Amino acid sequence: MSGRRRLTGPGSARRLPSARIAVGILAVIAILAGFGSMLAPQDPLTINANALFQGPSAHHLLGTDYLGRDVLSRLMAGARLSVLTALEAVGIGLALGAIPGIATVFVGRWFDFAVNRIADALMTFPSIFFVVAVTAALGNGLVQAMIPVGILLAPGFFRVTRAATLEHARAQYVEAAKLLGASKLHVIRVHVLHKVLPNIMVTTASMTAAALLTVSFLTFLGIGVQPPTPTWGGILSSDLDYLSQAPWAPFIPGALIAVTVGALNALADAFRDRSGAGMLVLPPLIHIDPSPERADGHRQSQPAA
Amino acid sequence: MTVISLTRGGAADAAGATPPRRRRGRVALARLGGGLAVLVPIVFLSSFITYWLGALSNSNPAATILGQDAATPAAVARYDKYLGLDHPLLVQYWNWLVQAVHGNLGRSYFTQIPVSHSIAQRLPVDLSIAILAVVLAVLIGGTAGTVAAIRRGGWFDRGVTVVCSAVSTLPAFVVGIILVVLFAVSVHALPANGYVGPTSGVGDWLSHIILPALALSLQVSADTARQLRTSLVQVLEQNYIVGAKVRGLPYRRILVRHALRNATGPALVILGIDFPQMLAGAVAAEAVFSLPGLGQLLLESAETRDIPVVQGLLLVICTFVIVVNLVINTALNWLYRAGDEVGT
Repeated sequence: MSGRRRLTGPGSARRLPSARIAVGILAVIAILAGFGSMLAPQDPLTINANALFQGPSAHHLLGTDYLGRDVLSRLMAGARLSVLTALEAVGIGLALGAIPGIATVFVGRWFDFAVNRIADALMTFPSIFFVVAVTAALGNGLVQAMIPVGILLAPGFFRVTRAATLEHARAQYVEAAKLLGASKLHVIRVHVLHKVLPNIMVTTASMTAAALLTVSFLTFLGIGVQPPTPTWGGILSSDLDYLSQAPWAPFIPGALIAVTVGALNALADAFRDRSGAGMLVLPPLIHIDPSPERADGHRQSQPAA
Repeated sequence: MTVISLTRGGAADAAGATPPRRRRGRVALARLGGGLAVLVPIVFLSSFITYWLGALSNSNPAATILGQDAATPAAVARYDKYLGLDHPLLVQYWNWLVQAVHGNLGRSYFTQIPVSHSIAQRLPVDLSIAILAVVLAVLIGGTAGTVAAIRRGGWFDRGVTVVCSAVSTLPAFVVGIILVVLFAVSVHALPANGYVGPTSGVGDWLSHIILPALALSLQVSADTARQLRTSLVQVLEQNYIVGAKVRGLPYRRILVRHALRNATGPALVILGIDFPQMLAGAVAAEAVFSLPGLGQLLLESAETRDIPVVQGLLLVICTFVIVVNLVINTALNWLYRAGDEVGT
């Protein structure tokens, strides 16, 4: 991959059809997250013993589940919990990752070394194991579970932000500003922040996708939610128990999750193309190489000589 | 969606103009020193976080073990002393770590079964799935990536790109469910759940782990294929490949010895980065296919807040991740050094 894609003009993200479709899908999901339970055609909790495992019909557009509840309504009502918790995790990850990512470049070598090692250590935890262990310690709630998810997203934000900051902090105009007596804060505010922002936006989009997957999996495992509350993962989980009666059922929530994640990924790609943010080179998880240029962990990928 | 590009020979470049012999020794030393400086803090930090979670839980193990009636303050204090919980946190952590290094992860609060026993009992399930998944990922992803890179721009290449993007949106548990529906519920070709050890028939064992492993490997296969395609396309444009073609070397030899050897590095890195996610995916596969693995143990003990089991599991899993990454690091160093010596 030749590192930076060609810079395209502003607004090109809107010209790309995939980006436009992605934004459209995400807008629908956002509306569902905001008003899903109000817009739902039926009560997502109403049990109807006479209409179990029905296929799609005019009355139940996506059929009914094992208790005769309307699947469409449950998916719409479940959007809020699924989406908002993912956003909560991303917010935590962004705050815990991006701020130290910029700070390490400016504070000093020891701070840099220490924060990098913490990030490395966090990356050795597989998400589900860590999150389940934390819920074992702190209590079983979806909001509590999002704190460890956010903590595990932070190293990703940290690495990307730090790599981008490093690149811009070495620029000649930053050197010039320093010579003119600019403070570190001034350099960050004026020269670094808006340059790093595209990278952070790209990462935020793809991290939201990752968080959504984790949330769906957690709710699938039944962590953090009590049964009647509808969530996308929870609906999948109950579908799994009744595969022989309704083998098509899991495809509906599965497709919903996949489409949302796909839209977020497409949005991340569009951001990347539009901003020329470039592909960031991620080193191996545990990176052992004494050469100084690699020891700092990140380089922008370069076209091979 | 991680894209990786490594340039070859980092260590050798850095050593600069010193004579080759001394350079090699110094590089080896620096690598060892730099490696330890990175590795030791990681090991201590991850294990401390693991232990600290238990302390954070604020649970009262003595009261839990003794039960409501027997938990008089004196008995609780005595039991805390027995468990070593009357020491400061760092001392407790150190004692726990030393014991863990000796293979003693403590006992479950509830069943009193040693944690290492429970883990050893369940480990084969996840190891079977994970190893088979890696093999499948290397086979599927490696083949797809290589063919896509050779036939760049062709229908196969475009197909691989589309499939990879589609797969990256599907979590392992959804893939697992789809596989169950396709192969177990509709066709009844393979068992939908349960685990059988390899001792009771290799065929039976394989039939129980193939679907979970496939579910687990799809994501990694896609990442590997994408990465391998990217780096192979890059390598195939290099001058030394053109040179080898001009020299009239057979294409197969150029592909294997010159191109693939230099293009596998980034794909290996992807395997290392994906490995923790694969372990998470193994939990998903266990849940979908009802396998008695580490993930089930984790969920059960998390529900009852059986802290020693949770800590032990987390420690074992982290150790796994670190070891796998070390192996991949070594493989990368070997790959690049071998490349230097061949003098491509």
